[in-house]
Amino acid sequence: MTVFKFALKRSFSNIANLVFLTLFPVACIFLPRGEEWPFLPYGYQYFGIIILFIGIRLAAIILEDREKGVVKRLAVAPISHFNYLSQNLLAYSVILILQCAIVVYGGVLFGQELYQPGWLFLLYVSFSFASLAIALAWISIYRKKDVAFLIYMSLIFIVVVLGGLIIPVEMFPDLLKRMAVILPTYWLGQGLNWVVFGEEILDFLIINGVLWLYTIVFVVIGSTRKI
Amino acid sequence: MAIYNSIRCNWKHEENLVGNEQGARWMKKLMEPYVFVNAWRFLMVGVLIHLWIIGDSMSSSFILILLLLITTSLRWRFPLPIWFVFIDVFICSLYFPYTAISYYGLALPIFELARKGKALFSLVLFSVLFFTSVSSSILFWFFFQALFFGVFSYIAIKNQEEYRLDVDEQRRARYELEKIKTDLLEANQLVSQEAELMERYRISRELHDHLGHDLTGASLALQAYEYVQDPKEAETLLQEVKNRLERSTKNLRETVHNMTPITQIGVERLEKIMQSFYQVEIKYQKSGNMLTVPAYIWGLLESCLKEALTNVARHSNATKVEIDLQVTESIVRLSIQDNGTVKKNSLSGSGLRSLQMRSRSMGGSLAISNRENGFILVCVIPLEKES
Repeated sequence: MTVFKFALKRSFSNIANLVFLTLFPVACIFLPRGEEWPFLPYGYQYFGIIILFIGIRLAAIILEDREKGVVKRLAVAPISHFNYLSQNLLAYSVILILQCAIVVYGGVLFGQELYQPGWLFLLYVSFSFASLAIALAWISIYRKKDVAFLIYMSLIFIVVVLGGLIIPVEMFPDLLKRMAVILPTYWLGQGLNWVVFGEEILDFLIINGVLWLYTIVFVVIGSTRKI
Repeated sequence: MAIYNSIRCNWKHEENLVGNEQGARWMKKLMEPYVFVNAWRFLMVGVLIHLWIIGDSMSSSFILILLLLITTSLRWRFPLPIWFVFIDVFICSLYFPYTAISYYGLALPIFELARKGKALFSLVLFSVLFFTSVSSSILFWFFFQALFFGVFSYIAIKNQEEYRLDVDEQRRARYELEKIKTDLLEANQLVSQEAELMERYRISRELHDHLGHDLTGASLALQAYEYVQDPKEAETLLQEVKNRLERSTKNLRETVHNMTPITQIGVERLEKIMQSFYQVEIKYQKSGNMLTVPAYIWGLLESCLKEALTNVARHSNATKVEIDLQVTESIVRLSIQDNGTVKKNSLSGSGLRSLQMRSRSMGGSLAISNRENGFILVCVIPLEKES
């Protein structure tokens, strides 16, 4: 588990990462409620965006390894690519799960109205994995960390807007409404709605299932070894 | 500044080369049939997503597309066995009652079956055309294009594999041939050395048999002569010595005559070639002890000379050829230079290439350059020190 420990340490190594990984999520707890929409406090509606950012921030460490030639050296070291990748992803998942826990249960302690905190936590965890997988697939295309990060940031905004996290999907024209379903952020939005109004547990499980399917697709695509 | 500029130019040139190489590699990657196979697979998923967007299926039926996307990306990443298509068929059949997209999704297993050379099995999947509620004519053509492209990729990939095997085999054969060629050249050298040793042995035996006997007799007779008192007997002995010496002189002459080859070898052979070449004026000079050069090197030098002179006669407008043969203690160097001005790339000639290879196998080199003032061929072969 050397890679795992090292990945954990590296994730907190610079100030930018520290801000992303600790301050932003904590700040989410204290954001106020909206008047009519969103149904959850702003911090919880927008936490999905932060999860997407954190995903690419963490996955970019793998890209950095590739840029610096660490992956090349690992290829001849007595460690398999699967080992390297899985331990890295495990470390990032642990960080993301911890953040989700802090945000959800911090909010409960702070006194935010979260309706069903347990299910909300589960939804955030599912979305975190999907976000991490998407980031992993994204960086597998690129060789330069900065380029990958910048393009992904602009993409996040499109995905977030079209997915209905910032603007409610109901306002979209029909075609956009149908297209929104392709994006994982749509399913997060639906999940958040379920947490507020949800009755049928099956709906919520389907939403989580879709997020998990996204995770599998993108992990399969993103786990290619690129030296 | 000039140096800086030249370095910059070089660097840019190298960068261009690297760029070109990368471009070529990309092109090569793009030309692979597997790229098109994967592109088709993901394109099909794209078509399904499009159908979903323009259709009126429920959000939950989008899971079908996600599941098919998973199997597609698994196929892209790993070589999966043929039975994996059953999973696609199973996933699609689960959604038959809910959405029409599931029927279109069957194009993926049809394609996979055809791609693996099992196009006939995929025809079974065509049977859903009779049960579906969606427009079966469009669905038929959709399935048909999947089948068609699947068969096409099957043929393309099969051909590529066959070509690859063929090329591998040819390459192996070429390497073997080159090895045999080198072995032959080495064997040639070895045989020549062996022949020289045998010849030496034969000469020593001949000398021993024909001369040794008489000379020893003469020597013994001379020793006896010192002790002989009787002048008559001494006279006979002296006559005997005289006879023996005469006979051995005659034998020596005969032996040498018998052993001298009729065909010319070595430097004389080279000179003979030059004399018989009358098209162009030849200026010839030599230096060093020609006897130290072994026979197999003469063979190569002779080939070099012949090839160079033939090239001069055939391709050049030269009027004069300078031939310089130098033998030192460690090397033998033959240079042939003409004053022709015709620029022709003679490097591609197979004769010169084979000579280069032969000289390399002897540890030497053969350099050819086409200068402004003529064509020059220099052959340098190291001489082995006799132990």
